[in-house]
Amino acid sequence: MTGTWVAWLHYWLTGGLLLVGLYGMLAAPHLVRKLMGMNIMQTSIIIFFLGLAAKTDATLPIVPTDDPAPAAAAYINPLPHALMLTAIVVGVSTSGVALALILRIHRHFGTLDERDLLSKLRE
Amino acid sequence: MKATAFALTLVAAAVFIHASSALPAFGTADAPASAHVSPRYIERGYEETGAHNLVTAVLADYRGYDTLGETTVIFTAGLAALLIIGAGAAWSWEGRPR
Amino acid sequence: MTAYAPVLIVVVPLTAAALVPLAALVSGRLARAVALLAITAAAAAALAALVAVLEHGAMRHRFGGWPPPWGIEYVVDPLSGLMALLVAGFGVLVAVYAGPAVATAPRLLNGAFHAMYLLLLSGLLGMVLTGDLFNLYVFLEISSLAVYALIALGSERATIASFRYLLLGTVAGSFYLLGVGYLYALTGTLNMADLTVRLAPLAGSPGVTVGVALIVVGLAIKMALFPLHGWLPDAYAFAPTPVTGLIAAVMTKVSAYVLFRVLFFVLHPAATTPDALALLGWAAAAATVAGSVMALAQADVKRMLAYSSVGQMGCIVMGFALGTPLAVTGALLHILNHAVMKGCLFLAAGGVQFRTGAARVPEYDGAASRAPLSVAAFTIAACSLVGLPPTAGFFSKWYLLVASVEQGMWPFTLALVASSLLSAVYLFRVVQRAYFGRAPQETGRARAGAAELPLAMLVPVALLAAAVVVLGLLNQAVVTQVIASALPALEAR
Repeated sequence: MTGTWVAWLHYWLTGGLLLVGLYGMLAAPHLVRKLMGMNIMQTSIIIFFLGLAAKTDATLPIVPTDDPAPAAAAYINPLPHALMLTAIVVGVSTSGVALALILRIHRHFGTLDERDLLSKLRE
Repeated sequence: MKATAFALTLVAAAVFIHASSALPAFGTADAPASAHVSPRYIERGYEETGAHNLVTAVLADYRGYDTLGETTVIFTAGLAALLIIGAGAAWSWEGRPR
Repeated sequence: MTAYAPVLIVVVPLTAAALVPLAALVSGRLARAVALLAITAAAAAALAALVAVLEHGAMRHRFGGWPPPWGIEYVVDPLSGLMALLVAGFGVLVAVYAGPAVATAPRLLNGAFHAMYLLLLSGLLGMVLTGDLFNLYVFLEISSLAVYALIALGSERATIASFRYLLLGTVAGSFYLLGVGYLYALTGTLNMADLTVRLAPLAGSPGVTVGVALIVVGLAIKMALFPLHGWLPDAYAFAPTPVTGLIAAVMTKVSAYVLFRVLFFVLHPAATTPDALALLGWAAAAATVAGSVMALAQADVKRMLAYSSVGQMGCIVMGFALGTPLAVTGALLHILNHAVMKGCLFLAAGGVQFRTGAARVPEYDGAASRAPLSVAAFTIAACSLVGLPPTAGFFSKWYLLVASVEQGMWPFTLALVASSLLSAVYLFRVVQRAYFGRAPQETGRARAGAAELPLAMLVPVALLAAAVVVLGLLNQAVVTQVIASALPALEAR
C-alpha cells in the first residue's frame, strides 16, 4: 500500500488513539476504565512504531533459502517489530500487575471509584 | 478533573500535530529508520545468525539482551501478582518492626 | 574478571532474583542470605569498575559481541560507575535494614520480597549503565513493576497509592517510548553515542524537539518534578519504611541521572533549545518552592520528607536548566548528596518509629532521650538538607547558588534560598521537639529493652549519617575526579 493517504491515516489514527487513551486514563473515575485507557494508549504507541517499519513494495522480513543476497529494499525493517514485541510484553505485564492491584483494592475496600478511594486514603 | 484532563489532551494533540510535519514519509526505503541500522539486519541477518526470520535474528541475537529484560519483566509481574494477591495479601507489614 | 564488571553489576542480582524463590523453599534465612550475597557482589563489582575506570578510562561491554549501534552496549564511565556504586551500596544497606522486618515472615513471602528487591535493584542498575535507549526502557519497566509490588506491601491503603503510581508510571514509560520512537524515526538508531552524532545536523527540527520533550516529560513524571509529582507523597508515606528509604534515595535520582544523559549527552552538541531549558527551569523553581511549602504543611513525618524530596528534585533540575558547567556540577553533586541525605532521614525516622512509635511531628517530643542515635542521625542529615557546612548538602547548594547568581537568574537564587530556609523550619522543628520536648507517658507502642534498635537497623543509619559528613569533606575529590570527567561536553557549548 502506498500513497500519502495511508501515511495521513496512520499518523492521525495512532495519534487519535493515544489521545483517547490519555483522556480515558485521566478523566474516568472507575479504576478498570483507567486501566483500559492505559492499554489503549500503549497500543497506539506500538502501532505508531510499527508504521516506521513499512517499506513500499517490500515483503515480510523472512529470508527464504533461495535468496542468497537479500536486498534491504525488498524486506520491511525488522527492528521496530522486534522492539514492539518487547513493548507488548511489557504492556501485558503491567496490565497484569494493575489487575492484581485492582482485585486487592476491591477485596478490601469494596469500591473501585477513584474519588471514594482517594477519600479513604486521606482519612 | 474532566476539564483538566480535556485541556491536557488538547495540549498533547497540539504537540503531536506540530510534530507530524517533521516525521519522514511513510513507507520509503531511504527513511532514516530504514537506512541506517536495519539494512545490516536484512542483508547479513541470515548469514550472521542462522535465522531465516529476521525479527527472530534481532530479538534473539543482535538484541538478545532486550529479550532477557523482557522475560525478566514477565517474571517480575508474576512475582508481583504473588506479592499483591497471593502470599503477600495474607501477611501484614504493619505492626512489624519498621 | 574486572573486564566483565559492567555486566556482573546487573546480571548477578538479576540471576539471583530467580534463585532466591528456590532458596526460600528451603528457608527464609537462606533466601535472605542469597539476596544479600548477590547485592554485595554487585556493589563490589561496581566499586571495582569505578576504580578501574578512574585509572584507565571508560569501560564498554558489547552484548553478544555485536558492535553498537547494531547491538546493545553497557558503558561505565566515572559518573555512571559512581551512580552504580550508589545504587548498589544503598541496596546493601537497606537490605540489611529490612532484615528485622521480614525475619518473621513466612518463607514464601521472604523469598518473594527479596527477589522483588533484587529485581528493583537490577532494573535501576541497568538503567544507569546502559548505552541504548530502548534497553533503558526495558529496565525502567523492570524497576517500575518491582516498585509497584513493593509499595503495595505496606498496608491496604498502600495498594491504592501503588495503583496511582502505576498509572502515572506507565504514562511516563509510554511517553518515554514514544519519544524514543520519534528519535528513531528521525535518525534510525537507538544507541546513545550514535544518536549524539546523528542528531547534530537535525538540531531544532520540530520532530527532535517533540521527541526530546516526550522523553523529558516521561522522565519528569518518574522524577516527581512538580507538577507531575502527584504519585510521590502517597507512595512514600504508605510504603514500608525500608522500601521508602530505598526508592527515595535512588529511584528518583536514577531518573534524574538519565535526564542528565539525555539533555547533555544525547543532545550535545545539537544543544537543547534555550526555550526548552528555560521551561524546565521554571518548573524546577516552582518545584523547589512548592515542595518545601507543602512539606511545612505536613504533620506526618514521612509525608513531610516526601514533599521535601519534591523540592530537592526541583533544585537538581534547576541546575540542569541553568546549563553552565558550574550549575550542572552542583546538580550532579546534589543527586549524590540528596540520595545519601534522604536515605538517612527516612531510615532514621523509621528507627525512631520502631523505638518510640512516633510517626507524626507532635509525637517526636522527647524522642532523643529514647532513640538518641536515630535522632542524632536525623539531625545530621537535616543539617545537610538545609545546607550547613561541612555536611555534603552545603557544597552542592553552594554550587547551585553561585551558578544561579552568575547567570543573573534571581528567581532561581531566591527559590534556592527560600527552600533552604523552609527546610530549616520543617526539619529543625522536629529536631527541637526531639531534643527539648517533654516525652509523653510511655505508650503501648514503644518497645522496652536495652538496645535502641536492632543492630541490623542501627548500622545502616549510622553509616549513612557518617557518609553525609564524609561526602561533604570529600566533595572536592568527587567533583574533580568523577563529575568533571562527565562534563567535557559542556565546556564546548
